[in-house]
Amino acid sequence: MADNRSEKGSLYRNEALTEIEKAEDGWCKKYPQERERLDEFTTLSGLTVSPLYTPASTPNMDYLQDLGFPGEPPFIRGVYPTMYRGSTWTRRQLAGYGPPEETNKRYRFLLEAGAEGINGVFDYPTLRGYDSDDPVAFGDVGRGGVAVDTIEDMATLFKGIPIDQVSISLVTCQPICNISVQSMFFANAQTRNVPLEHLTGTSQNDFLMETVMSIAPDVSPPRVAFKLSCDAIEFCARNAGRWNPVSFAGYNYREAGCNAFQEIAFVMANALACIEEMLRRGLKIDDFAPRLSFFFSAHNDFFEEICKYRAARRLWSRLIRDRFKPENPRSQALRFHVQTAGVALTAQQPLNNIVRSAYHALSAALGGAQSVHVDGFDEALCTPTELSSLTALRTQQILQLETRITHTIDPLAGSYFMENLTNEMEKRIVGLLEEVDSRGGIVKTVEDGWIHRAISDSAYDYQKAVESGEMPVVGVNCHRLSEEPYKAEIFATPETLAVQEAKLKRLRVERSADQAQKALDDINRCCERDGNLMEVIVESVKARVSEGEISRTIRDFYGKWNPPLF
Amino acid sequence: MSHQKTLRILIAKPGLDGHDRGAKVVARALSNAGMEVIYSGLHQTPELIVNTAIDEDVDAIGLSILSGAHNTIFPRVMALLKEKGVSDILVFGGGTIPKKDWAPLEALGIGKIFTPGADTQEIVTYLQGTRISNTKYNRRIHGR
Repeated sequence: MADNRSEKGSLYRNEALTEIEKAEDGWCKKYPQERERLDEFTTLSGLTVSPLYTPASTPNMDYLQDLGFPGEPPFIRGVYPTMYRGSTWTRRQLAGYGPPEETNKRYRFLLEAGAEGINGVFDYPTLRGYDSDDPVAFGDVGRGGVAVDTIEDMATLFKGIPIDQVSISLVTCQPICNISVQSMFFANAQTRNVPLEHLTGTSQNDFLMETVMSIAPDVSPPRVAFKLSCDAIEFCARNAGRWNPVSFAGYNYREAGCNAFQEIAFVMANALACIEEMLRRGLKIDDFAPRLSFFFSAHNDFFEEICKYRAARRLWSRLIRDRFKPENPRSQALRFHVQTAGVALTAQQPLNNIVRSAYHALSAALGGAQSVHVDGFDEALCTPTELSSLTALRTQQILQLETRITHTIDPLAGSYFMENLTNEMEKRIVGLLEEVDSRGGIVKTVEDGWIHRAISDSAYDYQKAVESGEMPVVGVNCHRLSEEPYKAEIFATPETLAVQEAKLKRLRVERSADQAQKALDDINRCCERDGNLMEVIVESVKARVSEGEISRTIRDFYGKWNPPLF
Repeated sequence: MSHQKTLRILIAKPGLDGHDRGAKVVARALSNAGMEVIYSGLHQTPELIVNTAIDEDVDAIGLSILSGAHNTIFPRVMALLKEKGVSDILVFGGGTIPKKDWAPLEALGIGKIFTPGADTQEIVTYLQGTRISNTKYNRRIHGR
């Protein structure tokens, strides 16, 4: 064993390691295995966890190569030199429901309560590219997010909010939504005389959200969804340099069923494909790579999640360096937002979710997240109420102001267990990335349904583990109560459909029909010449064409696709 | 048992709500329990759901809703079934449906509602056990 080890750069002398291994063997022989609680101890994603870790668990660890310093490659210790000593992670609470007038009030409430950024979430029809008055939208208008049909709604949504100072995240999810909604946000900024170069924020814009997560018949074909996503990335690289044009939505992959390795491997495969496409379009890696951003989940396995973030940072740094040879080291820095895992929350005894989400948020903070959203405790029951939103924000503030976990950088580094687990996770992620590569890349695995099956299998395995009791869930498969001690208030979505219908009706009369038609024709012509659609749509929305009209134009041109359903 | 009874179930996601993990897991669990399962994917209008249910001659429709739109969508599905004279298809539900809404939904003739934390085996047992067996099943086995 010791012969294969290179002492050069290693933290340990071979001689010392051999001594430790010998002593560890002795300890293991005495270890009373029969007194253990479980037959096998594993992480949530299935890695074996040993009773004890020692220096022999990371025998070849080379400090300078493998860990290094914050703000420098491989960035495992953090993407900024000062991390939370400079500024703590951004408290970025998701909000959106009903008509834009109502959500505007929630945004102001959250900003006044100390939120530093806004995560604007859109209702289901907006996310799927339909207007509020589309027959298919019936029932869902104003639910799950705010309804936005036109640039007028966008103006209402951000009325009185300093969009040149507050960082705004547009949780557009799907490229078909993003291409319109981000364009409306940009066009509205121009109307308010805020130059696009001054805007800070993020749009989600992940093509897997349209083709793998939340799947429906007759959606955009994977290559089209991918193109729309890339159009926004390219547009921002050329026009809005401080905007993060994509947030690869590992969080949603995890919520859909992925385990921790799949979450990271699939976002990276997606991001690598976007990079290749940007290079093909003539951009240089340093023109856009520093603005690619990621979105991860914070799930139940505390240590696994921290190691997941650390492994992701180191792996990304090395992948970008080796494949694309950037000059700017920032191109190698993986920055990410975290949302606490909704799928881990329970409808039973909902106040327990406050505790769960606090642990999730702690893992995000110890893992070096750039911004965090904490879920409302009532999310397994309804859209978060004002009380649950406020409690979630306070959870973050308690972490930041009272616990002092922010005083030093990457505090768990150097733990034998943490470094071993980080290495193991990285290996598993690399293995999966290679598998996606060998199957022809991310777009191909979406087209042939391999990725759908992989995620569906993981989701089913998770459910089986809960139902067998192998995975304890307090209040669900153990420690149940026959009577709920706390009656959660159920959020009531304000009337939205009638409000939006009336606006659309008025707008279609008021706007110039010629200009609106010309705007849609421009989009169609852009499709024909395979141009960048965002360039055109940022202008089109000013003629007050609606999101549904834009999506229909794009869908009519490119056709539809039926994904494998389950 | 003279007949090996195979239940046909439509699991449908009405509307544009994107939360489909639960629906897919339930579809798979029912399928593993020996049922024939049709999963619709998202974007289903009540009309589409009812038509599919009739065309596919299903015994039950499971509607999964996590958007809060259940009070709008369930009644529409029930009304359409009634309009088409269908009385032998069981409609049951799943998703984030608050307890206070259960009774009004049950009054419309909707069967059991399964909320987050429900066991898939519970759903299997429910479908195997309830009124489905007497109506549609007999009709299918013994001729129309």
